[in-house]
Amino acid sequence: MKRDDVPRLTKGRANPWVLLLLTVLLLAAMAAGCLYGAVDFGWDEIGQSPIFWQLRLPRVVMSALVGAILAVSGTAYQSIFRNPLTDPYVLGISSGASLGAAVAILLGLEAWLWGVGGVALVAALLTVLLIYRIASIGNRMHTTTLLLTGVCLTLLISALISFLMVLHQEKMDTIIFWTMGSFGNSSWSDVTLLAPVAVVGIGVVLWYSRDLNLLLAGSEAARSMGVEVETVKRVLLLATTLMVAFAVSCCGVIGFVGLIVPHAVRLVAGPDNRRLVPYSMLCGAFFVVVCDTLSRTIMRPSELPVGSLTALVGAPLFIYLLYRNKKTY
Amino acid sequence: MELCLRHLSVAFGGHPVLRDISCVPAAGRITAIMGPNGCGKTTLLRCIAGLLSPDAGAVTLDGAPVGDLTARALAQQVAFVRQHAQTDFEFTAFETVLMGRNPWQRRLQNESQADWDIVERCMRQTGTWHLRLAKPMQMSGGELQRVMIARALAQETPLLLLDEPVSNLDIAHQIDIMRLLRGAAGKTTLIVIHDLNLALQYCDDLLLLHDGALLYHGPIAEGLTPERIATVYGVDAHVDRGHILFDYDGLS
Repeated sequence: MKRDDVPRLTKGRANPWVLLLLTVLLLAAMAAGCLYGAVDFGWDEIGQSPIFWQLRLPRVVMSALVGAILAVSGTAYQSIFRNPLTDPYVLGISSGASLGAAVAILLGLEAWLWGVGGVALVAALLTVLLIYRIASIGNRMHTTTLLLTGVCLTLLISALISFLMVLHQEKMDTIIFWTMGSFGNSSWSDVTLLAPVAVVGIGVVLWYSRDLNLLLAGSEAARSMGVEVETVKRVLLLATTLMVAFAVSCCGVIGFVGLIVPHAVRLVAGPDNRRLVPYSMLCGAFFVVVCDTLSRTIMRPSELPVGSLTALVGAPLFIYLLYRNKKTY
Repeated sequence: MELCLRHLSVAFGGHPVLRDISCVPAAGRITAIMGPNGCGKTTLLRCIAGLLSPDAGAVTLDGAPVGDLTARALAQQVAFVRQHAQTDFEFTAFETVLMGRNPWQRRLQNESQADWDIVERCMRQTGTWHLRLAKPMQMSGGELQRVMIARALAQETPLLLLDEPVSNLDIAHQIDIMRLLRGAAGKTTLIVIHDLNLALQYCDDLLLLHDGALLYHGPIAEGLTPERIATVYGVDAHVDRGHILFDYDGLS
């Protein structure tokens, strides 16, 4: 076969030029996010402004990290579960974290550093553990049971949260704001906590990206083509769960990103996870940075929850992409 | 490479499916695995493919139990074409066949020229090269089956397992696939097949299962006698010039 024919047949790994373009776009969005907000900065003012260095910059970096984490986890989950409707929260991380945060807020732990986030993280991990425990049969994981248990427990915990909110109406706003996500309290300590987790977690997903392709052909088929299916699934679920739990404990539940970004990228770049994972990482970061910037600017001085912005911007964009691709289905 | 089944027994929920099966399928030949529905044919293949660990006994490849091999090492020796292929994904036929190269590739390594050449050869051999840009949903059952066989061939294994590869195909495609398997030179091939005449025509050996036990293992021409067919299937048949004719309603 001639080498020139190959690109038409399979695109293989990520294209470095696309990665470069997406990185430039991300950096541009981050620059814009740094300059615009409740207070706008000029290039000459940023040098000595503590607001810029202590509030704005860590916030923009956090939104990029969280966007990358959610999009990469969503990509991995959709392949592991072979289900297009899976998102990073499907295993109960979001509801567990929200319940933990709500309890922490009601106990008045907001004053403590990591008070709310720490309780949210522990609650998220406990919820996922509980779901695994229910869904594992012997030492195998049954993915359908895992999904159904996740959905069921999520609904149960949401009901508990509503119950708590009705009982404590005075704290309702804080809890709601948390369950819709916000980067308002981001600091450098959040960044130093989340960045290493993100690097390791995303690294693991990239490492296993070809195995994700094979998992799409079915567990048994993947196993007969040389994938240690149970190990790969376990490692991937552990890595993604940890990074999503940390992200959620830092900034609350930001929906839609983990579901929509992988699909949007897939519609354009095809199904190969070796491309999908790095592209989704950059697009997810870009998308959340843009949404957070919008959430700070469009109704200033008040701020919208970024979780509502991701849905408001993302849903129409995604419907447009589906419509454009209609003929291929 | 020597495949060896030793005292293989499997039970599902206390109900025995395979009972004490021992045999050494001949290397480089096509062995038909036959028997009525539910007699344990697929279970036998899944044990050999390392997808199911037997309750007793072992399957060995050159003396090593398949359960002890890593998925990668096993996939370099055994390719398995399952009865039902996954069709709900978006990879093209070319990319699907390319996945068969996985056990030979290093992690994070891109495919090499050699991989692409092997994929092209396997697709041409199975008559699927013209489908290289088609997605599973755009293919007919026969085309998809041939792509799956191409993927298994691309694994370049000495042992090839096929679970009912021709059951959903018309007679022309059945013959195509059986010819193709005959042409896959040097492979030890185990194939679950229902059509007695097709098996007689294209297979060398027969593994005949009856209620989970091995009733016959040997050359197929001597194995498919009217007595055994009556025992296993409960159907009257007679052999006429190398063809098996059935007594459909007691008229023959």
